[in-house]
Amino acid sequence: MNNILLQLQDLHKTFQIGKISYHILKGVNLTVEKGEFLAVMGPSGGGKSTLLNILGLLDKPSAGLYLFEGKEVSSLIMRDLAKIRNEKIGFIFQAFHLIPWATAEENVLLPLLYRGKIERDDVERAKVLLERLGLGKHVNFKPSELSGGQQQRVAIARALINNPTLLLADEPTGNLDSQSSKEVMDILEELNKEGLTIIMVTHDPEIAKRAGKVKILRDGVFVD
Amino acid sequence: MMGRLLFKEVFRELLANKINIFFITLALVFSLTALNTIYALGKSAEKQILDTLANLNFGKDALLVLAGGSRIMGLTTTRTDTLLMDDIIAIEKLGFVKMTSPFTGGSVEVSYRGKAEKVRLDGVLPIYLQANNWELFRGKFFNEEDVKNFNKVVVLGYEIARKWGGHNLVGEKIKIQDQYYRVIGILEKKGSLGHFPLDERIFVPLTTAQKRIFNQNYLRGVKIILQEDTPLSHAERTIRKLLRERHNLYGIAPDDFRIVTPEMVVARHTATSKTLSAFLLTIAFISLVISGVIIMNLMTASVEEKAGIIALRIAVGAQPWHIIKHYLISALILALVSGIIGWLLSILLMFLLSLLTPLKPLFSWGTFLLSLLFSTITCITFSLFPAIKASRIDPAILLKGL
Repeated sequence: MNNILLQLQDLHKTFQIGKISYHILKGVNLTVEKGEFLAVMGPSGGGKSTLLNILGLLDKPSAGLYLFEGKEVSSLIMRDLAKIRNEKIGFIFQAFHLIPWATAEENVLLPLLYRGKIERDDVERAKVLLERLGLGKHVNFKPSELSGGQQQRVAIARALINNPTLLLADEPTGNLDSQSSKEVMDILEELNKEGLTIIMVTHDPEIAKRAGKVKILRDGVFVD
Repeated sequence: MMGRLLFKEVFRELLANKINIFFITLALVFSLTALNTIYALGKSAEKQILDTLANLNFGKDALLVLAGGSRIMGLTTTRTDTLLMDDIIAIEKLGFVKMTSPFTGGSVEVSYRGKAEKVRLDGVLPIYLQANNWELFRGKFFNEEDVKNFNKVVVLGYEIARKWGGHNLVGEKIKIQDQYYRVIGILEKKGSLGHFPLDERIFVPLTTAQKRIFNQNYLRGVKIILQEDTPLSHAERTIRKLLRERHNLYGIAPDDFRIVTPEMVVARHTATSKTLSAFLLTIAFISLVISGVIIMNLMTASVEEKAGIIALRIAVGAQPWHIIKHYLISALILALVSGIIGWLLSILLMFLLSLLTPLKPLFSWGTFLLSLLFSTITCITFSLFPAIKASRIDPAILLKGL
């Protein structure tokens, strides 16, 4: 049985800004197995966010192959990419990116709005998720009424509502104090133990240590 | 469940920027109020004319034949002395004719107690009251005897009587072109038809007017009341044919009479207000387009401001049409709210106008639907561009840096 979740082969990404073109990713090769917890480190401008955008299907590579669950996805149209993002990939961002006027529960249910239907079970599941992440009493709170750590936990619940196969985290603790950071990392570790594949970008070595595997991206390529 | 969540999301997003929706709504409400008010006032003026006509028994089952041919009401282009009493008798014999009320008339000099003035005088038959749905205010109307004997009796219009000294005029003598006439009655008040004052007239027996005052044997016209539910066009055709035969008009000879339908009278009396309405409506439309541009502007700004949130929606799986739908729903909400407010304001405005002018406020669900329709079209049309722009936001902006 194939245990590989995704594979990048000689992946390149070039940005054209005005007349200058920036070659950000210069032949990235990466294989991520199911159940892995990978931390990507590296200096600023090394291409971490670009890589994460491509892994999350938010952006397309300029050249190279991206196999997700054995299927080439870099050539898919936007609509199909949106569907895969919706069903298979969960995102956690440094700035949380919660909808400010929606309650915690509504934020968690957001991805389902684009799946097609929301049933009573889903609302129940959102509640259970929030409860599990220690937000049982905050279901109807708006983001502005929550602390940074609580907001990030709402974002994690939102990432999990569709039972994704891959969780992408971009500096998930970047905006948090050390206590909240620890809590969030505990949650990620626990989710990983339950079998969820996680790829996390960070430049905090302490945080990266919590991942099972660390890779360094420098000047557009992975270095050992 | 999903619809509720979506609606809640859209609604909260709208409320999140109250100043924005205030200005969008304000822009729309202004132009919609103007549009509604102008439209309703035009309708109201038309309705008033129709009401007056119906009150004069010139509603649907009536026609007016006027002597002298021309294309519209106004100056005649043929002889005007060919419509005779015999024609009226022939018309009366037609099966669909219920009654005829012939008349003649003109401007005459009338004096009462030494004061002289030009007054419109109509020579009519006793049936006139019935044909015009008119009642007496005081005294009596002339009868067949008066008609037969060319009696010098006169009935005054309400306003004339009021001007000359009120209700005590019955029994008094007034002088019409050097001859004294006895006032036998005063008609009740009818108001005016457009700008034509119905109550500033005096009435004498038809024969008296023909022989003693105008010295002519022909008529100015005849009002024809039809049997109920007679097709108007059929009646018009038949009467035209009859009169042409009687007047020996064949081939391309033009009619020497005009047949006037109630619609023509309405059209004549609303022509000016229609032109004005069309002009004002155009301005209101322009202001609607301007408010549309304002909406587009504010929505675009709002989309740019919320780029991060929109990018997030796209990142978690929203398709372009989800985003477009989202903004069109918010446009629709704004449209409905503004439409309703604009309509209510226009009703208020009309009510205030009705206190200052003779126009009556007109309540109609038609203007309500009109208001909603226009605000919806405007909002949707002008939100389309910002909505499409929103749907094209690059979700990659969520992860800053390269």
